[in-house]
Amino acid sequence: MDDIKKKILISLFIVFMIFPIYVYAAKAVATKPVLSDEAQMCLGCHSNKDMSRALENKEILSLYVNSDTFVNSIHNAISCAGCHMDISMENHPQVKKIKSKKEYTANASKTCSMCHTDDQLRKNPVHSALISNAACVQCHGFHSIKGVAAQKAGLGQTQYCLSCHKSQISMPLKNGESLSVFVDESSLRNSAHGKLECTKCHSNFSKTQHPVRTFNSIQDYFIGGMELCKKCHSETYIKYQDSIHYTMLKSGNPKAPTCTNCHGVAHATTRTKTDKTLGLTSCNKCHEDMKASYEASIHYKERIKGNEKAPICSSCHNAHNIESTKMTTKIKEGCFKCHKDMEKVHSRWLKNPPITLSSFAGAHFDVVSCAACHSPDAKRGIYLSLYDRKTGNPLPEEELLKLLETDSNGLMGKIDTNGDGSIDAKELWNLFQQLYKKGITTIFLGKMDVSTAAGAHQIAGKANAVKGCENCHRPDTKLFKDVFIVVKKAEGKSTILNAKREVLNSVFSIAPVSKFYALGSTNIKLFDILFIVALIGGIAVPIGHASLRIITSPIRSLRRMGKGGKK
Amino acid sequence: MKKIYLHPLPVRLWHWINAGGFIILIITGAQIRFGNIINLFSFETAVDIHSWTGFILMANYFIWLLYYLLTFKIKIYIPPLHHPIEFAKKALRQAKFYGWGIMVGDQNPHHSTPDNKFNPMQQVSYLMIMAALIPVQIITGLLLWDPKLFSPVVNLIGGIQIADMIHVLLFIFFSAFIIVHFYLATLGHTTFAHIIAMFSGYEEEYEEHEEHGGHAEEHSQ
Repeated sequence: MDDIKKKILISLFIVFMIFPIYVYAAKAVATKPVLSDEAQMCLGCHSNKDMSRALENKEILSLYVNSDTFVNSIHNAISCAGCHMDISMENHPQVKKIKSKKEYTANASKTCSMCHTDDQLRKNPVHSALISNAACVQCHGFHSIKGVAAQKAGLGQTQYCLSCHKSQISMPLKNGESLSVFVDESSLRNSAHGKLECTKCHSNFSKTQHPVRTFNSIQDYFIGGMELCKKCHSETYIKYQDSIHYTMLKSGNPKAPTCTNCHGVAHATTRTKTDKTLGLTSCNKCHEDMKASYEASIHYKERIKGNEKAPICSSCHNAHNIESTKMTTKIKEGCFKCHKDMEKVHSRWLKNPPITLSSFAGAHFDVVSCAACHSPDAKRGIYLSLYDRKTGNPLPEEELLKLLETDSNGLMGKIDTNGDGSIDAKELWNLFQQLYKKGITTIFLGKMDVSTAAGAHQIAGKANAVKGCENCHRPDTKLFKDVFIVVKKAEGKSTILNAKREVLNSVFSIAPVSKFYALGSTNIKLFDILFIVALIGGIAVPIGHASLRIITSPIRSLRRMGKGGKK
Repeated sequence: MKKIYLHPLPVRLWHWINAGGFIILIITGAQIRFGNIINLFSFETAVDIHSWTGFILMANYFIWLLYYLLTFKIKIYIPPLHHPIEFAKKALRQAKFYGWGIMVGDQNPHHSTPDNKFNPMQQVSYLMIMAALIPVQIITGLLLWDPKLFSPVVNLIGGIQIADMIHVLLFIFFSAFIIVHFYLATLGHTTFAHIIAMFSGYEEEYEEHEEHGGHAEEHSQ
């Protein structure tokens, strides 16, 4: 009985353990291709991993061939000389000048075209597009080349894409630029998008489809790329649509930044949660002129001390819904993100008795930018921005130009009719009246602000801030000396025109500038004259009347006497 | 010489608080506006005093209003508009008196009594001041005091510059008015008669009126 059990166990062991090994080995032996004698001879040397040669440009070209991968390649049946036609068992030229790897791979492509003709390759639109600027080996490899079907089956989606895009391939654009479509796999893996399959964003692409597209320029490609970002980042895109950057984009400004301009190409995008400097470094690409003033600010000084809360560009200007600072008070909201309860804080000194209300400080905040006081060395001015009173929105320069029937070069001349280079109160009134007659009721909303963007960034500590009412509230204040008229352009930027100080003090400005007023410094001169006239009149009437009474006193005396008052 | 109790204590208190307040407001107002010329106080002190005084006078105005409404004395401010021609004639006669009659020794056509305190010219001007100009000055003062708090009203009138324009024009009017008002107060039967009356409450009945009254009696007989 025991013998029978032993036999059964041995049989089972053979069936389950040894037989599969045998079958596998037999199959392997049966399917493993046999290399030609020539190949075996070549591999005699070229299987040496250290085998290489220096090219003319000093690059080192490895001459190693992995026999295993070659054996499993689709070309395993082709002898080495099938491709390397200048080399045979009998002839192996020792001196063969190769300038660079690029030249080598380009020549290799020529060899491929011996069998895979151009006509055949051009049938595939991707090949057709690539053929002039990429070598075959860049995507397909050298000796490890596999059949397309086998390659597709053996690779995941992303790996399949990378089989070409890991190479330094590029795409010619209509304007002559060359767009690199190289994807650095390690950067991709470490990027914010590292866990995504390529098709998550490039949904029109897959192992089976690769539409060929054409773009006018790299910027055109980036603009198109925003559509991909939008798929996941729709809320951010909506914010971006409110920005000056988007307005620039819509107006066709080639410098308008897209997602990739700030965040870098999607394959290397860092996470904004971890990269706390993105809101500074990306802005500096275009706004480098602001760097020095920011670095002179208390904000930057705090940052280099290690205070992570110290603001960078995006902290104040927002990351996506960035507005033109000249035409908005929203920039304050940036300050208020960190500096809480500022109305209450300023109410400690910015108050009006008998009741201290934060709204009094708020009234100042509405017309004075934070930087106007907190950037003590900055040059300041009064900016009167043109708004449509009915809509409450800025009246765009484009519309103004149409109404005035001029172009941007002729705008100042159209307003500054006396041609002295500065708009006076009468000229402002004429503009106001002219637009009113054309159905647009305008208003010039005033704001005290720093005159240069650099000044806006050079924020000092609060001990150095401009403080004290008389800095502004005096008829002879220097801070109200420079006055400008601001007209917003459709693309978000502004045209700034010089105006005279008297614009703030003229009776002609009461209607056009009716919402800007500063006690003591926007006095209407005519009223001052009227005050003096009234005082003189008020004094002259009693003096005149009293004098007449003195002169006529004899008449009264006589009359009293006549009545028998005096005997 | 008879004495008439013309100015009750609440009215006298209101009047002198108002008078003092007006002078303070005019001086501080001028300091705020002409800081480059006048140097009585700092801007901040001038604003502080101006605001405090403004609120005191605002309260004073409501005390006046309440007093005159509750005692029905408000009617002394209301011109008899149901007799417009007669009122106009009286006003003209009063103007003629100040312009000519006072010079030649005519008697004042108006005889003040507690129920008929103001002559027609006073009645029109005080009604305008108390019912319109002071309330407007209070409102525009409040708008300037905190433009953000009252922004709906500021926007309604067209902007803060409009509020300032009204406030300043009334400031100019009141500045001139108070000088003329002070002069007119000296035109009693003696220079200080009306001024003393505003302290004591008692206006002395000038003998000419007594004579006039006597003549009237004689005429009626």
